Amino acid sequence: MNPTAKGISEDWLSVWIGLLVFVLALGMLAGTDVLGWVVTTSVWTDLSQALNPVSKAYSALGGVGALVATYVALLVVMTAGAAALKADLARFALGFTAVFWIGYLSWIAGSYANFAVTTPADMQRFGITWSLKLTNEGGFILALAAGLVVGNFFPRFAAWMKEAVRPELYIKTAIVLLGGFLGIIAATQPVLAKDVMLRGFAAIIEAYLIYWAVVYFVARKWFGFSREWAAPLASGISICGVSAAIATGGAIRARPIVPIMVASLVVIFAVVELLVLPFAANAFLSHEPMVAAAWMGLAVKTDGAAVASGAIAESLILASNAAEGVNYVKGWILGTATTVKVFIDIFIGIWAFVLAYIWTNHIEVRAAGDKAKIGEIWERFPKFIIGYVLTFLVVLLLAYGAQPATTAKVRAAMGEANTFRVIFFIMTFFTIGVMSNFRKLWEEGIGKLAAVYVVCLFGFVIWVGLVISWVFFGGVKPPLAAS
Amino acid sequence: MEQPKVGEEMRKMPVEPLLPVEKKLIVGSLVLGFVLLVILIFWTRSLPTGAG
Repeated sequence: MNPTAKGISEDWLSVWIGLLVFVLALGMLAGTDVLGWVVTTSVWTDLSQALNPVSKAYSALGGVGALVATYVALLVVMTAGAAALKADLARFALGFTAVFWIGYLSWIAGSYANFAVTTPADMQRFGITWSLKLTNEGGFILALAAGLVVGNFFPRFAAWMKEAVRPELYIKTAIVLLGGFLGIIAATQPVLAKDVMLRGFAAIIEAYLIYWAVVYFVARKWFGFSREWAAPLASGISICGVSAAIATGGAIRARPIVPIMVASLVVIFAVVELLVLPFAANAFLSHEPMVAAAWMGLAVKTDGAAVASGAIAESLILASNAAEGVNYVKGWILGTATTVKVFIDIFIGIWAFVLAYIWTNHIEVRAAGDKAKIGEIWERFPKFIIGYVLTFLVVLLLAYGAQPATTAKVRAAMGEANTFRVIFFIMTFFTIGVMSNFRKLWEEGIGKLAAVYVVCLFGFVIWVGLVISWVFFGGVKPPLAAS
Repeated sequence: MEQPKVGEEMRKMPVEPLLPVEKKLIVGSLVLGFVLLVILIFWTRSLPTGAG
């Protein structure tokens, strides 16, 4: 591998991979079930019953056959993607193999009935007397835990698979696919979908204008950080850990170590939030599901952890409500958390430009040729959002007001695409865990940075996020599922 | 490759007082943020909710 070779960005790659799966899934509209072999996992007590191809048309494959087919197909596509990234292909393929299998085995374990079952009727059906009631999406937590074990106790193994430890690539691909899934949901409830989007604007205001200003002030005034550290830190804590910290670091011409340290810190705290906030949301906000959803999008930093928190919160809250006889349509909590997070991401480029303008004109005044350029807004725009919006709009156009038969086909197609989305989520959880080497970060002396993070996150980010979520989403409920 | 001890850098970090432009950025952001939030609250309250 040529270490200086530069391929396409992970951002663009996620768009192409997501669109490839999306287009193949839409083959169902032409009567061709191209992706029905992808593996899906049911809640189980008998392992031989756990796995199945998502479509009955491929039932001859069996569960293990579907799992192997899914692995081989993803290995081929992702390795081709790694070639576009100019990554080391052999190392990527080996690393991806580890990421896929450890992640998916965690997912299967998480679907074990004693972990996943949520209702007394299902406990009776599976012949069990207790359950942790984590839903089968508790498998995400197990994948994260497996990643944390690898990242913190097996550093050589983590380094060996490093080429495929790309949570940003996996989550962005998942978000592109999520667009189609949310499109079908929005097509059935367009007024509510529009409402959620309008309320989602509050997230942009909060993240950029309120969180950022307060974190920057706290870091500068209370903790005595220099501007070089305070600005990326404020962006990392307020907007979106990795991409915002890096964009801000670039905008103010910080040394590369600064956004890298900030991004590492944000990932660590995002893991903590991911393990705590969805459960807190279920405990205190199960009767306000959309407040909980917006809260996940606002309070949890990094795209991966925010959307993943939305997924866990959704499964927990839907299960809690189902136990009380209230059955909400699946997808709205996850969709709202994602909408809020994506809305925040959209403005990273503009914010980086604003900061670059202020820094180069007023703080570290530069020569005319070295000042902020308008083209930087596009350069820093998160491209995966294009894929997300595209899949959302295509499905909305196909399904909105269409004949029931067409809507059913689009729904089935998005169901298959969504199965891939879950697999990309699983790999996101696992790789976030692998990247979270707590000990290494502590050894590098990030105590003071972490102190700012703790003060800001627990001092106001979480609480202001909760208040704003309540103000804008309080009383807004997902539609009820048809009984 | 650059390998500074971040902890040491934190301890030795020189004090950089807030410049007027930074103060303007902080105060301006907060004021604009609160104004926009209030406008958005009134706007969303004036619309019928599509909650199911």
